[in-house]
Amino acid sequence: MGVLSFLKSTILSKVVMALTGLILVLFIVGHTIGNLQIFLGAEVFNTYAAFLQGLGELLWAIRGGLLIALILHVYTSIRLKLLNSGAKPQAYQVKRYIKSSFGGRTMIWTGLMIFAFLVYHILHFTVGSVQPEHFHYVENFGPNGMFERHDVFKMVILGFRDPLVSGFYVLGVVLLGFHLSHAVQSMFQTLGFNNPKYFGTIEKASGIFGVAIALALISIPVSIFLGFGGNL
Amino acid sequence: MILDSKIPSGPIQDKWDKHRFEMKLVNPANKRKYKILVVGTGLAGASAAATMSELGYKVEAFTFHDSPRRAHSIAAQGGVNAAKNYPNDGDSIWRLFYDTVKGGDFRSREANVYRLAQVANNIIDQCVAQGVPFAREYGGLLANRSFGGAQVSRTFYARGQTGQQLLLGAYSALSKEIGKGGVIMHNRKEMMDVVIIDGKARGIVTRDLITGKIESHWGDAVCLATGGYGNVFFLSTNAQTCNVTAAYRAYKKGAGFANPCYTQIHPTCIPVSGDHQSKLTLMSESLRNDGRIWVPKKKGDKRPPNQIPENERDYYLERKYPSFGNLSPRDISSRSAKEACDDGRGVAATGYGVYLDFADAIKRLGKAAIEERYGNLFEMYERITGDDPYTTPMMIYPASHYTMGGLWVDYNLMSTIPGLHVLGEANFSDHGANRLGASALMQGLADGYFVIPYTIGNYLASNTFDKIDTSHPEFKKAEEETHNKINTLLGIKGKKTPTAFHKELGKVMWEYVGMARNEAGLKKAIELIPQIREEFWKNVNVTGESADLNIALEKACRVADFLEFAEVMAWDALERDESCGAHFREEHQYPDGEAKRNDEKFTHVGVWEYQGVGNKPVRHQEDLNFENVKLAVRSYK
Amino acid sequence: MKITLHIWRQKNASAKGFIETHKLDEVSEDMSFLEMLDVLNEKLIMENKEPIAFDHDCREGICGACSLTINGMPHGPEAATTTCQLHMRKFKDGDEIYVEPFRAKAFPVIKDLVVDRTAFDRIQQRGGFVDVRTGQAQDANAIPIPKFNADLAMDAAACIGCGACVAACPNGAAMLFVAAKVNQFALLPQGQPERKKRVLAMVDQMDKEGFGACTNHYECEAACPKAISAKFISKMNREYLGASLFDHKH
Ligand SMILES: Cc1cc2nc3c(=O)[nH]c(=O)nc-3n(C[C@H](O)[C@H](O)[C@H](O)COP(=O)(O)OP(=O)(O)OC[C@H]3O[C@@H](n4cnc5c(N)ncnc54)[C@H](O)[C@@H]3O)c2cc1C
Ligand code: HEM
Ligand code: HEM
Ligand code: SF4
Ligand code: F3S
Ligand code: FES
Repeated sequence: MGVLSFLKSTILSKVVMALTGLILVLFIVGHTIGNLQIFLGAEVFNTYAAFLQGLGELLWAIRGGLLIALILHVYTSIRLKLLNSGAKPQAYQVKRYIKSSFGGRTMIWTGLMIFAFLVYHILHFTVGSVQPEHFHYVENFGPNGMFERHDVFKMVILGFRDPLVSGFYVLGVVLLGFHLSHAVQSMFQTLGFNNPKYFGTIEKASGIFGVAIALALISIPVSIFLGFGGNL
Repeated sequence: MILDSKIPSGPIQDKWDKHRFEMKLVNPANKRKYKILVVGTGLAGASAAATMSELGYKVEAFTFHDSPRRAHSIAAQGGVNAAKNYPNDGDSIWRLFYDTVKGGDFRSREANVYRLAQVANNIIDQCVAQGVPFAREYGGLLANRSFGGAQVSRTFYARGQTGQQLLLGAYSALSKEIGKGGVIMHNRKEMMDVVIIDGKARGIVTRDLITGKIESHWGDAVCLATGGYGNVFFLSTNAQTCNVTAAYRAYKKGAGFANPCYTQIHPTCIPVSGDHQSKLTLMSESLRNDGRIWVPKKKGDKRPPNQIPENERDYYLERKYPSFGNLSPRDISSRSAKEACDDGRGVAATGYGVYLDFADAIKRLGKAAIEERYGNLFEMYERITGDDPYTTPMMIYPASHYTMGGLWVDYNLMSTIPGLHVLGEANFSDHGANRLGASALMQGLADGYFVIPYTIGNYLASNTFDKIDTSHPEFKKAEEETHNKINTLLGIKGKKTPTAFHKELGKVMWEYVGMARNEAGLKKAIELIPQIREEFWKNVNVTGESADLNIALEKACRVADFLEFAEVMAWDALERDESCGAHFREEHQYPDGEAKRNDEKFTHVGVWEYQGVGNKPVRHQEDLNFENVKLAVRSYK
Repeated sequence: MKITLHIWRQKNASAKGFIETHKLDEVSEDMSFLEMLDVLNEKLIMENKEPIAFDHDCREGICGACSLTINGMPHGPEAATTTCQLHMRKFKDGDEIYVEPFRAKAFPVIKDLVVDRTAFDRIQQRGGFVDVRTGQAQDANAIPIPKFNADLAMDAAACIGCGACVAACPNGAAMLFVAAKVNQFALLPQGQPERKKRVLAMVDQMDKEGFGACTNHYECEAACPKAISAKFISKMNREYLGASLFDHKH
């Protein structure tokens, strides 16, 4: 594995999961806040989108970073999953769990499905190949509309009017919620921040965080589906 | 049989140094030419194997456990003694020496006990250096407590798990040497016989407990550190697999067995709850500091304790020993409990139990204080019995706990068979007729870390060894015998399980060779034991095959040896026609029930020599001379 | 009370195992779980059948020999209690109880309910010690150790090496066991000189033995008869990270 040889160590693999996870979490937080601006109307939202596009090289740098993190995260999680199922070749006839959570035991599955969602999502809103009909809109702005920019606001609104699409987003985001509710406290534990004084709080916060992100993101397709931006 | 104790001359405090100087040394380069077999990886075995490997000897260690860390030493709770005098309460090597000799009721070897007291301090240093997390005070220095009736605080402890922490310390040292290749560890291998060639112990025969394979191992010296034989009573505080096999095999090959009748009965154990009982759990003696011991005055009074009014209760220890009361020494309080129960006034389902009542203490000090002191013990008690000691009195009963007797060894820990060394509880030890609390851990580690590593060198350097290997006919012979024994056992296909015979033997031993003994009873035992043994060899049922993990077979082999050994014990108890320490002959007691020694006739070690199964063994004597302490009567009035 | 036992039988490491059902009619609630199995074994021998092999010794919850996964829980339903200390009063008349060995790739079954836990010994041999020779020690009180550290070290040192953590972990990870040892020494001054070397070596051996990776399920902590906290795993992760980043030999 050459440079990746440190991945042979289970603990370092875990650290990779945690650090890449952290990057993804930070992205999600930012992305969620960004997305919520949709409720402030086309003007604000499109400005934000345009701002992102305007970043140029920096945007690509960020995308690159995210991509590497994501690939490492996915690759490592799959490796660990294979290693771990290998370490328990024979299952118990009867098994009762005491402390572990459902979310915790399904990380790999929620993760993989998030991944699938992600591919779809990028094709949808970044590449534009899912609903090309909504992708070409542009919005004029500035003094007597002398400039024009990609009308992301319209794209999203029209996109989410399709119940299937919205449904799929809701699903993807719920999975993310599950994933995060275990992930965040797991991250702290992995990186060595477990002090009985505050770890209880971290565990609760982790759950709340997962739910919060999920609700925040769900609110978008749901409210659109219920008629938000219907005046378009 | 010659019993030369090899005690060095000179003043007692210089003997060990002098001896270490006079002993021959093995040239460092030659050390790895010698191979030493260590059987047992408890405190004594693990520390010995690790230390001898550090010195450069080739060591092979054996245990029937799946890991050295499981040895029974792990169960020790209370602590380990040393005369560090950290509390500045006037302790000294001399005082530890004196207390131990007195505690043993003047039936131990002065020189050995003094050496034990001397090296005890190094043990604590050694263990701390290994990372044993002893209890500490806020200042960061080691904490001590007083234990086993000592008037000074000299006991070092690690919560209620001192034995565990000391053993894990020795185990870590052993692991270090295994990792370095100095020690070859054989787990799940049970020693079945010791092999003697040209009068020297040169190897052992083992049974692999997984494959059943009988194997021979040769060495230039053999160390047995195989623990005590308390399970001869079937029920004891010992772990299930503790047994006498290794020591008894050595005895059959000519090693003298010393003072087998010295067995310690611990007063505070959880009583038997039914016929299914497999072991008895020790409840720390400290409970007697606040608990009051009583039984109903009326025979067969079956009322629940809290319905028995004060005036119908007999606080017998307080009545009989006003000054010491509930804190009377182990042997006395054990015997009084037995008397009360034999008198039909015992409690518990079986009628073999007495109350240990905390009601008054709780009234006086409040529940919180009691919880603070004994919380974990009360929990353990409730887990096992289901009763809550805060609301209903505990029930306790004495149980076999420790065996002072063992294979006879000289000052160098060598038995009467040249090259066969014996360490820890397996030897007849430095505890005389009675062991004080927290001194067995001390002795096991002293033997292993600080005595055998020197004396073994002296033995190796002053002897020549012909090259042998396991193809030697003596090995083949021993393997043959082991095979035959196993095949016979598997062939009997009788009607009773090995455990059933063990229980039967235990009942006899407890009844007649237990806490209080008398001539008639001992003669009865000597008559009954052979009968059980004969039936065993006709009617035991051992299922399964030899070439396999076979728990029935393991048990049968151990029981077979107990059935022979028990007789030696009874003979010893009969011939030692005096009371001393834990050996109590009803014929010999002071009016207050204290043991009455007969120093003219019995100030000696009784050593038994094997004469064939069923034949009375021959008793030899090693006279004990006390030059430094005056023989006195232990009085607790 | 009446109890129905579904017990794992397996002739030897290579043989195929199966569940065998036994009924016991007179189980006393004062019996420990192992004493109940003793009774069954006595019965089996009388029927000329082979008794069920299981590991045990002290029966006081300290030697770590006993194992057994009871109704899917290593050491059974009672928290912070070994199988040998579990008593039948924790069960009801008519209960069906599944008894299986501790399961993990690194703990191959030897026979019936007996598994091979020597992987733990090999981990210990790689660094679970302070490299001090007998006789080298200075006075025990030469280095004061803050009571808090000594107590915390003792919390970790209480591990009995039973392997329930591995048996309970969905990944068959040995993190709790290794963390307990690593932290005991990391907390004491005597452990400092080999601190980095130790954690790297022990974790390396742990991985070699085929234990899984920890994904923070905390089942180990829940099953541990000595209630060893998973915070020690977290601490070990930090120890290990520090050692692999700053250890020169790496
Ligand atoms: C419940 C309890 C509490 C105690 N508390 C204290 C205390 O607080 N303080 C104190 O000082 N003492 C205490 N003792 C006594 C003390 O624990 C023991 O005397 C001491 O640990 C014995 O150590 P050992 O190394 O001699 O033998 P053990 O620790 O018994 O080791 C015996 C070893 O020999 C091996 N072995 C035996 N036979 C064979 C064979 N045939 N083949 C291969 N291997 C074999 C076993 O596998 C084991 O490894 C207590 C004892 C008990 C039962
Ligand atoms: C309802 C939920 C969501 C909405 C409305 C949404 C909206 C958007 C929009 C509009 C874009 C395109 C931005 C642009 O082209 O300027 C985008 C890009 C993206 N989204 Fe989302 N998103 C949602 C959920 C998610 C989730 C759950 C993830 C991650 C798991 C995610 C990851 C991404 C990524 C990686 C990009 C590409 C960014 C880039 O490089 O251009 N999104 N999202
Ligand atoms: C934007 C999306 C994602 C975010 C924010 C995220 C975040 C995290 C975080 C923070 C952790 C905790 C790491 C740790 O345990 O220390 C984690 C764990 C995990 N992630 Fe993700 N992840 C995402 C996507 C994925 C994907 C696509 C997969 C694909 C398989 C995945 C699989 C896993 C698995 C299996 C774990 C558990 C491993 C462990 O706890 O050690 N995740 N994730
Ligand atoms: S950590 Fe707990 S469960 Fe794991 S081996 Fe130690 S005592 Fe057993
Ligand atoms: S259960 Fe397993 S996943 Fe980690 S926290 Fe314990 S080792
Ligand atoms: S038998 Fe020793 S811990 Fe259970």
